[in-house]
Amino acid sequence: MKQLLATAALALTLTVPLGAAQAETWNVGMSGGYFPFTFVKLDELQGFEVDFINALAAETGNDANFVTMSFSGLIGALESGRIDTVANQITITPEREAKFAFSQPYVFDGAQVVVKKGNEATIQTTEDLSGKTVAVNLGSNFEELLNGLPNAGEIEIKTYESNIAQDTALGRVDAFVMDRVSSAQLIQESPLPLALAGKPFSQIRNALPFRDTDEGRALRDQIDAAITTLRENGTLAKISQKWFGSDITTAE
Amino acid sequence: MRALDVEYMLDLLPVLLGYVPLTLFMAVVGMACGLILAALMAVERVAKVPVLDIFVRLFISFFRGTPLLVQLFLFYFGLPQMLSFLTTINGVTATIMGLTLHFSAYMAESIRAAILGVDRAQWEASRAVGMTQAQMMRRIILPQASRVAAPTLINYFIDMVKSTSLAFTLGVTELMGAAQKEAAGSFLYFEAFLVVAAIYWAMVETLSWGQRRLETYLNKAHAR
Repeated sequence: MKQLLATAALALTLTVPLGAAQAETWNVGMSGGYFPFTFVKLDELQGFEVDFINALAAETGNDANFVTMSFSGLIGALESGRIDTVANQITITPEREAKFAFSQPYVFDGAQVVVKKGNEATIQTTEDLSGKTVAVNLGSNFEELLNGLPNAGEIEIKTYESNIAQDTALGRVDAFVMDRVSSAQLIQESPLPLALAGKPFSQIRNALPFRDTDEGRALRDQIDAAITTLRENGTLAKISQKWFGSDITTAE
Repeated sequence: MRALDVEYMLDLLPVLLGYVPLTLFMAVVGMACGLILAALMAVERVAKVPVLDIFVRLFISFFRGTPLLVQLFLFYFGLPQMLSFLTTINGVTATIMGLTLHFSAYMAESIRAAILGVDRAQWEASRAVGMTQAQMMRRIILPQASRVAAPTLINYFIDMVKSTSLAFTLGVTELMGAAQKEAAGSFLYFEAFLVVAAIYWAMVETLSWGQRRLETYLNKAHAR
């Protein structure tokens, strides 16, 4: 029976992900469900991250292979080598820096509370979140940010794989927390009745994480140099303008 | 109450239909491997091979006793931490293996019941004409048992087709995963999930029709 299973496993393995050794193809992980950074419309994967990675690949003469999976599985997939990096607005945190080799930041943003339209007045600061139910994406940095607030004990935090905006619009939760620029785009582009509540309450910097190995660091250095080039020749600003109507790729 | 975006649904239908082959591929391969495994286990359970029997019973007990989702997570996210070579297995393969193991446990039990349902006289007659155990199983018992087991096994196949939707949780963009992503991009959740439900329904109805045809055909030979 063991043999049978082994044979079945071999026969069934359609594609074995390429290791980073063949540096011509980068396996880039993303959720494909985080508007407007990475999302799908009629089978076309698109967004700021997709354009950004494609520009990097073009700049360095490599190919990018996008691998979509649920957000909470991305970091694990990076660790286990299923993917080489994550392009999904990954925020630099001390915990993550201890584990991964990060590129330079390519998005400068803030954390933002979003509520159902009409409730903007009820939440102006993070103190107002006390006694409220707040949705965040599972495994996201915003979950940690909320837990780190002085009044964290009084906030009921609900974690989601996706669809936090929809549940806020339906009134199942009082608010959700996400980055400012995505929130603004979401409110502008989607039919959901949502509104920004108060000012961004925390600065965040996003970068590409790589495995902290010789191979991972080599890939990081290569990509880092390309980010610098794209920043200097205006490509980053152009991609940002396309998706956000403003340049979010440089520190204010 | 907002209006249903029919135009979007019509645009989405061909896109999502493109994922049907992957769904059917996972179910068909899972079913084929599951049937082989189940038949082997069923024959073992009837023959009661010492020692091996304990393992087979344990296997069936575990895979019937835990949810498929738990098994998939254990296998895809859990085990690779212990056995690093498993990281090379992708989501589609892991799903197929999960479906194979999970459903083989159920199917083994239905096949076993079908084998035991074959008239004792058949067993005795086979022995009387000097057949070996293996010959008897292959030529006399299993063909009769499969007629009894077929409808139930097709039910498991239908269940398997629907269970492939769990592959999305392993990062596979299959039918359900694609629908979920489209919904997250367009914010038209109701339309996207309505289309995906219709596709699954149509697939299962087609299979049920085939099941009825097969049953009529199988029973024709036994009309007395």
